[in-house]
Amino acid sequence: MYAFKYEKPWSLAAAAALLSESGDAKLLAGGQTLLPAMKLRLAGPSTIIDLSKVPGLSGVTREGDNLVIGALTKHVEVMNSAEVQKSIPALAHLVSVLGDPAVRNRGTIGGSLANNDPSADYPAAVLALNGTVHTNKRKIAADDFFKGLFETALAADEIIERVSFPVPEKAGYEKFRNPASRFALVGVFVAKTKDGVRVAVTGAGESGVFRVKEMEAALAKDWSPKAIEGVKVSASGIIADLHGTADYRAHLAGVIARRAVAKAG
Amino acid sequence: MALEMSGEYELPQAREVVWKALNDAEILKKCIPGCETLEKLSDSEFQATVKLSIGPVSARFKGRVKLEDIDAPNGYKIAGEGEGGVAGFAKGFANVALAEAGEGTKLTYKAEAATGGKIAQLGQRLIAGSAKKTADRFFENFVAALQDYK
Repeated sequence: MYAFKYEKPWSLAAAAALLSESGDAKLLAGGQTLLPAMKLRLAGPSTIIDLSKVPGLSGVTREGDNLVIGALTKHVEVMNSAEVQKSIPALAHLVSVLGDPAVRNRGTIGGSLANNDPSADYPAAVLALNGTVHTNKRKIAADDFFKGLFETALAADEIIERVSFPVPEKAGYEKFRNPASRFALVGVFVAKTKDGVRVAVTGAGESGVFRVKEMEAALAKDWSPKAIEGVKVSASGIIADLHGTADYRAHLAGVIARRAVAKAG
Repeated sequence: MALEMSGEYELPQAREVVWKALNDAEILKKCIPGCETLEKLSDSEFQATVKLSIGPVSARFKGRVKLEDIDAPNGYKIAGEGEGGVAGFAKGFANVALAEAGEGTKLTYKAEAATGGKIAQLGQRLIAGSAKKTADRFFENFVAALQDYK
């Protein structure tokens, strides 16, 4: 009953073909969400397409003003990358507080983004830094990529190849994490790039990561924690559960945003 | 833990048309998110299979959909419950009311949903969002399905 087909393609084209052929297939990157769900029998895909042998999906490079990270790059590789630490230290910090050592050693940036868990860390960085998701078919801007709770703009047979981040002037990530799950109760990524200021909140929105435009406007005029003291995040559409009410999380988003700005310097 | 949701839609169609659509098995099948089969057992009862897919979790629920408190053409209560095997169970209902608004119709709903079993234990932080999304999607689909309905 729980049997599934296991495929290990050697090229991206082969992986994409397998994905469009089999109706109920899932891509396996680091497996840190998919495999627990399968073990619990909460997911039972007919086919698993393991991406580990597809070449060219891993690694960090600097290309001009952009930092480019391959979809299969593990969290720990981003965390330890000298290039990331130099270009976007806030991103290296984000990964250092993501999950636990097991997740960081197996999980990947592409897997995290394709899953778009509303409490995941990476979506905040991609949205705040105005990153671009490159797939086997097209380039998707961050604002168009995240489509709601566990939903992205990815088509059924689309595979993330890499993510590019414009190197910001300033950036900071602060996270208030659930001590047990280490998921963000609220996480805020703030970034100042040559295109302006962006603030992205994860962990709090029922539809996943979102931007706070009022904070962006205030920070564009005055990049300081004080500038956003008066900006309230509305509690409507905010997650409420046994760990915190919507009002609590909305308030926390303001506090954490100020800390993120302070951290960015 | 029961979740409460509500919403309101302005529809250009006349109330009779909207009411007819609300009682049409084909329309309901098209509008219930993830509905794979919907068989009529009687005028007010259906057997359904619904595939629920939220992120990594994917479960197929088998159960019944019932129409109760039928008050044509003012509204009814649509209730459903299903078993998703090891994933657990889900149930919910929506009170749907139709009022005339000029040429068209104003549809309001109040819904409640509850889940139990593994899906509820593990997905606690996700259930409110998913239930709201499912309800919204049902009515969005309904508004769209009405456009070429007579």
